[in-house]
Order: sequence, then C-alpha cells, then structure tokens
Amino acid sequence: MTTRLRPYRPGRLLAAALAAAALLTGCTASGQQTDTDPDAARPGTLRVLASSELSDMTTVLAQVARSTGVTVRPTYMGTLDAVDLLARGKADGRYDALWLSSDDYLRLRPDAARKVVSETPVMSSPVAVGVRPATVRALGWNPADVTWTDVEQAVRSGRLTYGMTDPARSNSGFSTLVSVASALSGAQSALTDADVRGATPRLKEFFRGQKLTSGSSGWLAGAYRRRGDVDALLNYESVLEGIPGLTVIRPADGVITADYPLSSLASTGAAAREDVRRVTEALCSAPLQKLITDTTHRRPVVPSVPPGAGLDTARRRELPFPGTRSVADGLLDAYENDLRRPSRTVYVLDTSGSMEGDRLARLKTALTGLTGDFRDREEVTLMPFGSDVKDVRTHVVEPADPGRGLRAIRADTDALAADGKTALYTSLEKAYDHLGGDRDAFTSIVLMTDGENTTGAKAGDFDAFYRGLAADRRRIPVFTVLFGDSDREELEHIAGLTGGRLFDARDGSLDGAFEEIRGYQ
Amino acid sequence: MRRIAGIVLAVLLVGGVVAAVVAGRSDGDTGTATKTVRMVIGSEKAEYFADPDVVKALAAKGYTVKAETSGSWAMEGLDLKGYDLAFPSSQAPAAELAGRHEVRGTLPRPFYSPLVVVAHRDAARVLAANGLATLATGHRGTLRMTAYLDAARHDRTWQQLKGAAKYGELSGTLFVSSTDPESSNSGALYLAAASYVDNGGRVVADAAGIDRTAPLLKKLVTVQGAQQTSSDAVFRDFVSGAGNPLVLVYESQVASLLAGGQRPDDLVVLYPDTTVNSDHTAVPLTEDGRALAELLGSDPALRRLAVRHGFRPQGTATGFAPAGTYLQQELTGVKQAPVPTSAVLHEMARRARG
Repeated sequence: MTTRLRPYRPGRLLAAALAAAALLTGCTASGQQTDTDPDAARPGTLRVLASSELSDMTTVLAQVARSTGVTVRPTYMGTLDAVDLLARGKADGRYDALWLSSDDYLRLRPDAARKVVSETPVMSSPVAVGVRPATVRALGWNPADVTWTDVEQAVRSGRLTYGMTDPARSNSGFSTLVSVASALSGAQSALTDADVRGATPRLKEFFRGQKLTSGSSGWLAGAYRRRGDVDALLNYESVLEGIPGLTVIRPADGVITADYPLSSLASTGAAAREDVRRVTEALCSAPLQKLITDTTHRRPVVPSVPPGAGLDTARRRELPFPGTRSVADGLLDAYENDLRRPSRTVYVLDTSGSMEGDRLARLKTALTGLTGDFRDREEVTLMPFGSDVKDVRTHVVEPADPGRGLRAIRADTDALAADGKTALYTSLEKAYDHLGGDRDAFTSIVLMTDGENTTGAKAGDFDAFYRGLAADRRRIPVFTVLFGDSDREELEHIAGLTGGRLFDARDGSLDGAFEEIRGYQ
Repeated sequence: MRRIAGIVLAVLLVGGVVAAVVAGRSDGDTGTATKTVRMVIGSEKAEYFADPDVVKALAAKGYTVKAETSGSWAMEGLDLKGYDLAFPSSQAPAAELAGRHEVRGTLPRPFYSPLVVVAHRDAARVLAANGLATLATGHRGTLRMTAYLDAARHDRTWQQLKGAAKYGELSGTLFVSSTDPESSNSGALYLAAASYVDNGGRVVADAAGIDRTAPLLKKLVTVQGAQQTSSDAVFRDFVSGAGNPLVLVYESQVASLLAGGQRPDDLVVLYPDTTVNSDHTAVPLTEDGRALAELLGSDPALRRLAVRHGFRPQGTATGFAPAGTYLQQELTGVKQAPVPTSAVLHEMARRARG
C-alpha cells in the first residue's frame, strides 16, 4: 500500500510525544523531582502544558509564585503534540492548564478546543526576521521598510541564508511558515488551499535559503552563533531580541503574532481554575507586565505598560491565521514533504553484545516507530556497529512510492542483532566518511549507544579526525542519545564538539528521544 | 444539540464545570441575616459581582450572592436546580431559558451594552475618508454599516481605499474581527446586526432569510481565518497592538478600560449605525431571584456600580460615559437591530462557519 507521507502522525507518535514531554520535564524542572509521582495533582501547583518558547519565563513565574502562592510547573511540548494530546483526552487529569504561544491551531481542532474553558492572552510577540547588521548593510535595507518580498529576493539572489525552527514541532516555526506563506502567496485574507498551491514554486525557492532547522529556539540560536555562515534567523521577535547583535525586522507586509493565552481546562476542578485565574491576574498586573517585557522582550497586553526597550511600536498588518485545519495541515504537509530541503541522516546504532535482549527490542521499536515520521525525499542510512561498523544501508523515501523505502528501513531494523564490543569513535568517523560533503540537504548524524567506547579509535583520535575535516563536513552535527550505561560526559563532548545536542533516553523512552531529534533533522 | 452552544456546553458537561466566581466573599460586615441567592452568570459580569463595593451594596439590602460563570448559550444545557437566577449576556439565550424553565412575566433587564467596533486611529481615518465611517471626535465615530457590508461583499481591500497607502499595516481585505459566532455571544450578535442590514432592515425570521443573507455572513466570517472564542481575548490583543485594526467588542469592555484610568491614544470607538445591544437579561427561577434582579435595575448604588463596570443601566442614560471623547453618552443615531430567534441565529452561525 502506498500512502502519501504525512509530516506528522499524532496517532502513532502519541506515546513518543508523551515520553518526550516526560524527558523534557526532567531537564527543565530541575530540583523539582520527588519520590512521589511528579505528575500527580498537588494543591498550590499548576501543572501546565506549555510551549517550549515559554522556558524563558522562570523569573516571572517565580514572582507569580511569591505573589499568589501558586507554583506553575510547566511541561514543554510542541503545539501540535499538545493540541493532539488535548483532543484525545490524554491531558485530562494530567494537566491543570494550557499555555501555548498561540491557540490559533487549537481552534482548528474542535475536539481539542472544547477542552478549554477560558483563555486569556498575557503577552504578545510577532514573527520577525533577525539579520546580521553587516548583511542588512550589504543588502541596503532600511529595517523599517523591509517586506517578506524583499527577504525572498535576497534569498533568491543568494545573498541571504537563514535558520528557523521546525513547524511540526515548534510554534515559532509554524507561525513563521504561515507568515511566509500568507505574505508570498499574496493572499488578501485568510490563506486557502488554492493560495498554498499557487505559492508553491515561490515558497520552494524561499526555503532553499534555509540552512538551519531546529526543534527548539534555544538550540537554533546556539547553532547560528556557531555556524557563522547563516545570515538570519526567522523566529518570534522575543527570541531574536534575546540574541545579541541581530537587527530585528518585523516585515512591513504583515506578521502573525503569538499572544500566549493562559487557558484553563474543563477537566480540572474549580480550585485549579481559580488558581489559573489568579496566576493570569498576576501576570497581567502592571509590575509583572513590565518584568515580562524587560526580561523576555515580549510585548505587554495592558496599555499602562509600554513595550520594553528596543521594541518598535509601529503597527504591522496582522496576517490572518488559516480558518480550517485542512489549510493548516496542508501547508505543513507541503513544507515537510515538498517545500523544505530534504534531510539526510546516518543513524549510528550501537548493537554491541550489551544491547542483547530488552535494549535491542526497544531500539527496534523506536526505529520502527520513526518510519511513520520520515518525510518524502528523506535519505536514511542505518549504520549498526559493534566491534566495527557492521553494515551500511541507505534508503530514500521516494515521493512516488514512499512505502518502499520505509518497508526497507523496517526490514533492516528487524534484522539488527547484538554482538561485539563498542567501537563508538571508529563508527562515527565512518559515518562522516559516508556523508561526504554538503549536499542540498539538512545533514546530520544520530549516535545511539548503551555503553562506553571499548575498541577502535579513542576520543582524542576522533577529536583530531573531526578537526581535520573540511569546513562543510564540520557543519554536520552529531545528535547523541544517552541510553543504558552510556557515558553522559563522553556523549556530551561529541555533541558539543560537532554542534549537536544530547538527548537523554535513560529515564524516558528511546522513542521519545528519537522523535525529539526529528525536529533537528 | 445546537451547534452554537456545542463547544462551551460540552465543556460544561464533560467537566461538570461551573466556575466558582467568589461573589460572596462577605467579610463579616453583614451581621444581619441575609438571603443567599445562587446564580449562574455570563463571565463578563463576573468582575461586577466580585467587586467588593457590589458585595457590600447587596449585603446592605440583605443579599449574599453566589455567582458561577457559564457561557450564555451553554446555560441552556445546565441543570439549574437549586439556582435562583440565570443571567446570560443577551436576550436570546434568556428567552430560551425562560421557555425551558417556564418562567412567566417580563424578564428583568437591569443593564445592557451595545456592540461597538474599536479601531486604530489610522484605520478609522481611512474609513472616514472613504465614506465608510464618520468621526465625531478624535476617538469616537460611527461605522456606516451599509457601506461597510458593501465593501465586504465586494472583497474590498485597504489598498483600494484612498489614503491607506501611507499606512503599511493597512493592507489586505478590509474586515472587522469578531469572536467565533458558534461559541461566543458577541460573534453571534455581529451576524445578527449584519443580517438585519443585509435583509433590508428586517430581522431574519425564516429559511428564506437565512438563505438570502448566508453568502455575506459566510464572507464576514471566513475572511477572518481562525477566530477567537472570547471577547476578552480579542480586546486584549487589540489593546496590545496585535491583530486586526478593526475589532468588534462590547462597549462595556472599552468603558471598563477607561474607568481604569487608561486613555489609549490609538483607540477610536466606532458605533455601528445599526448595532445590536447585548441585553443582560435575568431569568428568575425563584422569588428571591426575581427580587434580586429587580434590585439590580432599581437600586441607585447598584446602578452606579454597573456604570463603573461599563454597563448601561436601563432607563435614563444619566451618569453614563463620563469619558465622553471615546463613548457616546446617549445612543442617539444608533439603530438597534432586533436579534433573530436563537434557532435562526444558530443556523446562521453554522452556515457562516461551515
């Protein structure tokens, strides 16, 4: 059977999403772990399902806790996952409130929207373009007048490259995608399917300029600094204002604005909703609105507090958000499977003797699960290793017959067997050799191991190998997955050296880690 | 179940919800025996009933009020046993409730608030320059509904209006943002006003009228894309400078903002020349409920407090709109469109969204 790939399949990924959420909570809510179930309801604590963009609100939330006695405990999740969780009733009893960057997408899903009792926007931030000042000068731009069409022209002429977050996993990426599509399609009102189809050639050109993708705004900023060859970032104004040295441009022909509505849920009790109301009230008080705009660069929603320093108050047209799910999902599908540059990934997978049994079974489940998420045109290489690389199997998800590549990946996954030592660095070097130079793709390596390096090249050898690579190959990041008895420091070092990121799958599931990495591929 | 109530109602049923609003935080200054009145109210009145001065004024008359909030249309599906009063934000749901609970006699309407369009100043000026609005002061004017609906019918863009070019933010199709008419009262009342004008100044009362007005209403709604579900949220976005330059809100929301001492420079209140009043209509379920509802409309202190929260007490306009540069003290020149029956309104909303 051949079906068109969807960039995002909530049904199959729900478990992964939950696991990813648990994973992230583990990292972010540090110091809050207790012996009891951390997800249990507790008086005075609001369990909030939140966009990851809100992780910069720690100081503000500490103030809220002081003034209201209510502690906000966020679990960060992408908008689509959060909305899906809500729609399926899986958030019932687990969360007391919802706090997304925007409820625009939520409104397109009546089954999720009806779980929300009330929503109050507490701050706002428009989509913007952050550009290196040197590039602004070279392009001869006056920041106040720049339009999306100007950005498009700069991209087409090869004078502007940029990074943005993954629209399927990050609210900022999704809002950026809608802003770009609305502006470049010339739609005068809410985007329609026909607008998206009509704009496809232009959008394809536009996304050629995207050199960086990311599952989170934080990593995007770091990768931008590291790379040095990317001219701009597309994200919320608040994120861009937090990165030193960027000229932040709100395109004159329109933006989508996030308004961060704190929303109470029907599945909770009156006491929890009263806490949500009090937290909302505190957030909307003048002192906290001022703190928000000063520390997070978002715009206040009360007229008595002026926007923080550097936030230009000239009006911008608000581009309407699509009014139907088919348009929003269709745009996302087009982006993932057609508009964006494809991804190209080598999975370096530890199948040494210690993986025997449950660990190998979990790896197989996780990889098989991923085949529901691979995009059209994606190139996937499986590189299982033990004492050395055992096999190199490359498959491409061909748009004409995506099922074929996916079946082959599943078959190869099924055939994985555990034996041998752990030649981690030797295998990693072979992955770089396999990838060669930079093709027109988002190229990366995923390294999953359950133990330390026991044979072959040593850590120092790999460092030297990496430093000896040509510049375009040094741009290939390694996303490392901590699993079983692997050494955190070792994997953190590899991720740090190559500009990747470490994902911890020891507490959560391997599925969750693999799924989260998708945002970076 | 009717669609318009669907969303909010499902919320209430699923969650067994009715949010407690803390009306009766009576702090002991009511030593006398008081009657406790339990009521379910539209959320826009929650602040009024939570105002300590209102609590005090009610206590002085011997009442303690326990108010819980619910969407106006959602009250239809609530079990109101044990309640003394239901107090939705407009007449249509109140009439439904009265029918359902066999409430006889006139329904008290202690205060009301017309729907208005808030505009950014540049947008208001461009509308005025093109005959779509007239401005009385720098912050107040009239939206000419016939001209506006005509522009909407023809997908008029801001770019086609003279004088818009110098304001970069004024581009794309000209439209007023409202809330989702299927789940929110103000969005539904927008359709009521527009359909009345489109139907030649007659309230739509039958299938033929619904058919006749459906194309325009659908246009007014679909042009907006995703719509918000609460009038509070759209007004907040407007105040923060985000969103569409023309937004439909309750006059009481503006009044409440002004009462807080704000005088936003970039705010013009446009009264549609044909609008709909949100008639806060009480449905008394017991004698105590009726007595309290009457009191809200007759007691001078409570009427003054209603004005503080932006509501217009029925009867005399005296005392309303001290912030005269933004608000009209009297609604002369503003035609009140009657609201269709809720069955008609539901169907209109369904077809406009669908």
